[in-house]
Amino acid sequence: MNEQGASSVRYEEATKHYRGASEPAVDHLSLEVPAGEICVLVGPSGCGKTTAMRMVNRTVEISEGDVLVGERSVRDLEPAQLRREIGYVIQQIGLFPHRTISQNIGAVPQLLGWEKDRVRARSAELLELIGLDPELGDRYPAQLSGGQQQRVGVARALAADPLVMLMDEPFGAIDPINRERLQNEFLRLQAEIQKTVLFVTHDIDEAIKMGDRIAVMREGGRVEQYATPAELLMAPENEFVEDFVGADRALKRLALMRVSDIDLWEAPLAHVGQATAEVRAKLEAPDVEVPFPLLVDSERRPLGWLSERDLNAEVVPGRPDSPLGPVLELDDVMRDALADLLQHETQYAPVVDHRRRIVGVLSVEIISEFLASPEARNDEHPAVERPHG
Amino acid sequence: MANPALLAAAGEVGGDFFKERSSGTLPCQANETHLFCFDWAKENIDRYGTPTMQHLELVLFSVAIGFVIAFALALIAHRTRWLQPPLLAATGILYTIPSIAFFFLLLPVTGFGRDTAIIVLSAYTLQIIYRNTMLGFDNVPDSVKDAARGMGLTNRQILWKVELPLATPEIIAGLRVATASTIAITTLVVLISAGGLGTEMYGSNFNFPTAILIAVAIIALMVLAFDLLLLGTQRLLTPWRKARPR
Repeated sequence: MNEQGASSVRYEEATKHYRGASEPAVDHLSLEVPAGEICVLVGPSGCGKTTAMRMVNRTVEISEGDVLVGERSVRDLEPAQLRREIGYVIQQIGLFPHRTISQNIGAVPQLLGWEKDRVRARSAELLELIGLDPELGDRYPAQLSGGQQQRVGVARALAADPLVMLMDEPFGAIDPINRERLQNEFLRLQAEIQKTVLFVTHDIDEAIKMGDRIAVMREGGRVEQYATPAELLMAPENEFVEDFVGADRALKRLALMRVSDIDLWEAPLAHVGQATAEVRAKLEAPDVEVPFPLLVDSERRPLGWLSERDLNAEVVPGRPDSPLGPVLELDDVMRDALADLLQHETQYAPVVDHRRRIVGVLSVEIISEFLASPEARNDEHPAVERPHG
Repeated sequence: MANPALLAAAGEVGGDFFKERSSGTLPCQANETHLFCFDWAKENIDRYGTPTMQHLELVLFSVAIGFVIAFALALIAHRTRWLQPPLLAATGILYTIPSIAFFFLLLPVTGFGRDTAIIVLSAYTLQIIYRNTMLGFDNVPDSVKDAARGMGLTNRQILWKVELPLATPEIIAGLRVATASTIAITTLVVLISAGGLGTEMYGSNFNFPTAILIAVAIIALMVLAFDLLLLGTQRLLTPWRKARPR
């Protein structure tokens, strides 16, 4: 895609005094965001996170100190010129209602004086990148759903291949289901384009999901902790961070794990036509923790659970008594897996690989044991990796 | 029946600039209880040509001048916020002066004729056009302006590429009201010898409904034509507004 890459962002004692306010909104903030990473600024409202973000494109002027993009101070350029090199996405999206989707996406390239054909080609390329039908390019923003509009908002910010992206609660106004989808899409996009992103949110769950690094802020833009999501959850530096991250931080760590990161139970398997006595014998083995046999086909793909009534027959029937319920995949995020179990009011669910063959069983008990273990609370878990990419 | 007071006043200040209706011989013309005399209308429709053209000219000049001034004031007020209340008050005061009083107040300065008429008529358009233009600016969503600024549009670019296009519907709505009311008020400029369709409505025509009804019909058509023209212009300029969600 011929991206020009990304720049680091460095705050050096950056301070913002608003006229008439007794305390600075951001007080001597020093923070370094490495190039190509997503840094989430998170904190309660009024903590100065948006002000800090806006210093980068000078939509908030810096009172003291400096902000460097790459090695260059943001003060070295005219504000309008600086902003054309920095992508900007806001919660209210702010698409131009009187311009078509393509024209919206091409706005900054047009300001930069690109040739018409190049602007058009770039718009089309970005529409494809964000997964929108190219036909939508000729529509007006009012004709798109909220989720589609925010995708366009992201595409518009990316159009001139910015060094840095500023995203101010970009998914805050989207309904929860679409928000999750947009977050995942953006993470996939980011894996490809590797921009430096400053992402503002007040939602710690979103911060944990989106951030390579998270800066937890409190009033005056003071950074209480600047760490990776796993570090933040495992070792909050002080009470403020601990409170903000929440009492359920062990639970939140589930958002950072996949089903494959935990030891599963072995499922007692049964095949159609097999003698039930044989299956009963399997269930009575000492290390079997799943009380019901799982019926699988010849490819070891799960078909359903056998009930006591099924086992009273001579041989295993072709139609099991109990439905299969949720089937999990090794790649599933642990938190979603738990949600699936709870939603189906079931204790167990088969876990399958990408060819849908059984690899084990995940139970609520496994998860709760994990949560209670010291591993979940303190030590670095070797399997902790960000579950996206 | 003629209004004697008005006739007297007009006679004093204006002299004899009401067009006299030649005493006719048509049967329905003599009978004043007739609401409309088709025979007279057929024979006399020509006499409306010049007044209609004068009327059109006065309206076009006045609205154009009023628009230029009001639009300039709105641009200034848009940049200099503290000017907004005094400007609104100033245009409002102009609007409240009764038109006849306004004409006569200006007579010693600018005299009889078109100049005085155009000054008064354009002054009346200021309030509506100014207020609607400001309303149009106010209706531009802050998020759109914030995004525009954050993307690197200069203030001038934001004004011309974002705010003005988005304020177009309100601005044109203002023009529509201003044009319609100017077409109506222009019938009064006959009082200061500035011509227009008023010449066919006052004076000796006061007691001849046919002559007045024809003038009224022309005025109604004029209002309708301008309104459709402006509405069409707005549709052309704001294609995004008819694009509804699918």
